[in-house]
Amino acid sequence: MKLIAVIKKEYREIVKKKSFIISTILTPLIMAAFMFLPVMLMKMGKGEKTIQVADYSNFIFAALQQVEKSPHAGKNVLKKQKTDFNRDYLDHDSTGEGSKLKFKKIITAGLSAEDILKHSIASIRKKEIDGFLMIPATIKKDRKLYYYSGNISDFDTNSFIKAAIRTVVSRQILIEKQIDPEIVNEATRDIDFETIKVKKEGTAKSSAGIEYMMSLFMLAILFSILMGYGQLIMRGVLEEKNSRIIEILISSTNTQQIFYGKIIGIGLAGLTQVAIWFLFAMALVGKFSIGLDSGILNFLTLEIGLYFIVFFMLGFFMYAILFSIVGAAVNTDQEAQQFAAPISYLLIIPFIMGIMVTQSPNSSVAVVSSFIPLFTPTLMFMRITVSPPPLLQILSSILLSLVFIAFLAWLGAKIFRVGILMYGKKPSLKEIFRWIRYK
Amino acid sequence: MNQQALALQNLVKDFDGKRAVDRISFTARKGEILGLLGPNGAGKTTTIRMIMNIIAPDQGTIEILGRPFSNKMKDNIGYLPEERGLYRKMKVMDVLIFLGELKGLAAETIRERGRRLLKQFALDPYEHKKIEELSKGMAQKLQIIATILHQPELLILDEPFSGLDPLNIELVTAILLEKKKEGVSIILSTHLMEYAEKIVDAVVMISQGHKVLDGKLTEIKAQYGNKFIRIEYEGDSAFIAGLDYVRGYKDYGRAMEIELNDLADKNRLLKELSSRISLNAFQLTEPSLQHIFIRKVNEGAPA
Repeated sequence: MKLIAVIKKEYREIVKKKSFIISTILTPLIMAAFMFLPVMLMKMGKGEKTIQVADYSNFIFAALQQVEKSPHAGKNVLKKQKTDFNRDYLDHDSTGEGSKLKFKKIITAGLSAEDILKHSIASIRKKEIDGFLMIPATIKKDRKLYYYSGNISDFDTNSFIKAAIRTVVSRQILIEKQIDPEIVNEATRDIDFETIKVKKEGTAKSSAGIEYMMSLFMLAILFSILMGYGQLIMRGVLEEKNSRIIEILISSTNTQQIFYGKIIGIGLAGLTQVAIWFLFAMALVGKFSIGLDSGILNFLTLEIGLYFIVFFMLGFFMYAILFSIVGAAVNTDQEAQQFAAPISYLLIIPFIMGIMVTQSPNSSVAVVSSFIPLFTPTLMFMRITVSPPPLLQILSSILLSLVFIAFLAWLGAKIFRVGILMYGKKPSLKEIFRWIRYK
Repeated sequence: MNQQALALQNLVKDFDGKRAVDRISFTARKGEILGLLGPNGAGKTTTIRMIMNIIAPDQGTIEILGRPFSNKMKDNIGYLPEERGLYRKMKVMDVLIFLGELKGLAAETIRERGRRLLKQFALDPYEHKKIEELSKGMAQKLQIIATILHQPELLILDEPFSGLDPLNIELVTAILLEKKKEGVSIILSTHLMEYAEKIVDAVVMISQGHKVLDGKLTEIKAQYGNKFIRIEYEGDSAFIAGLDYVRGYKDYGRAMEIELNDLADKNRLLKELSSRISLNAFQLTEPSLQHIFIRKVNEGAPA
């Protein structure tokens, strides 16, 4: 009963905190932004672009206009190009989903090139047009184009224009040399390089880049919440110690119940938070899967979600116990930070190794270190996301972690019991070890 | 039936080679208020922490309500530690519920009793306020409420008056007397002897880890007799030191406590005083605990 009272109090204290509420809401938003933003950015905010064209070559503009007519202009052209001869450019898949380009031809007859340029630049400044494309008459020979715009870092537009014109020019040259473009096309067709992830059951198309990023992203979440809760627990214990509330608590119950109640209570608060995120992610994936990159969709499976919760809880208990020991052993915030630093390093090490693990998840270093209990929550989880190890390895690492947690809890309760009532000078590590042996 | 609320036998505690508590023994009777008196640093809090099993004694035994300390009896004891603090971010009623549940009470009982006690301590407007919004005195009253909430048989209060204004000291005193009437045994540690002597039944005085005096308040006072005279005066009182029938005195500037070797000399003293200073009051009185304490410490003899 008293244990439940402690659990309830610790749980409520955390859950009612503003920082808890904010991070519970904010994290999924950031998560969503991370997943949707790339797609959304491409879809929104660009609209129609008007580009004025001075075509001295006399054959390019007509081809460009064809592009403009179709609603998914870029995409169609690129689809066509995919079987065309533009190897170095083809993978740039998003062009057409960006802006719709509208080309406007300038009558060049009777005007000097300088006047046209001057006039066009003025129009760009006045935002009447978005860009000015100068196609010299010598384009076939020089292969040179000039594009003037207020925004020359719009990669999609730039590369689209470049690719489109290149295709048109190449085709023209072939025709002039009386070579059937289809032959060249056939001979130089691009190779479609598709990555397919081998899963335990079946396979799934996935892009390695997104998987790598998601994996690191989840590691970052894991790292920051373990760190955050650890600090929270440490401060809580220190507050009880410094305000001497602990004496009232001890006059009502024993230190074991206070210690375990605290860790379980805060653990449940953490679980609540992760569960909310989990449900949010599942809802998101279920409902808006159309808008999501298929790589993310394949990554965020129910399995990964459940593993995340399991390894989060394992990591939570390990670091919660360590941080609560620090809180009980020290007297001031500064001392607490000093003692907490090595524990933070323990968390940072797998974070750094995590990058290595995503690249070679089956290297012996990765395998061995994923079995070190303090690293299991982060590194084993990473391995699972990148290249699932055999189930036996996963289960045995979980079991090993549980044994380690039981040991840590036993040790922690002992240190906590003595430390929480020790006031005065900063204890040495030797002293803390002596506390373990107290009867 | 055991009539002892608390019995200490030869309690010893060393800190880093320094003896903080040295062979202290005393008993407290059920239903009485025992004052554990002494200056700061005398060993009162260390003794109380040992009673509450917060620190283990190096030697000696402690029996509470006739039995050695056990976790079970914690629900029967109300303890107010010396240094006080509460969860700053928690609300008043939530703190009471948490501390009450730790004593085995149901949340409903706590709400009902808590509201009554908050009213009694004039804290009822703060029921839903956070602790950090309370003044120091209010927080202290709240802690006293938390100490008596579970209606313990034994109350152990370490410096319950410190930090309270006179009005609140009156209030706490009244509550303690009410508890005593209900049959609750109270151990009260304080260095404010003038407050203690108004309510305690028995006294244990400690100084530098030693017990210097122990007994019923009435008996102790009787032992020192009515050889004390309290005066209020104006003028230069330095001559008192030269009077051979004055055993000791304590000068407060406008008032003075004078102890005579023999009460028969009181008229001589009155004559002497009235000829040399302007007297506003002259009164036979019992010795104050403070006075007795100072005498005992000066004698340097552990009782």
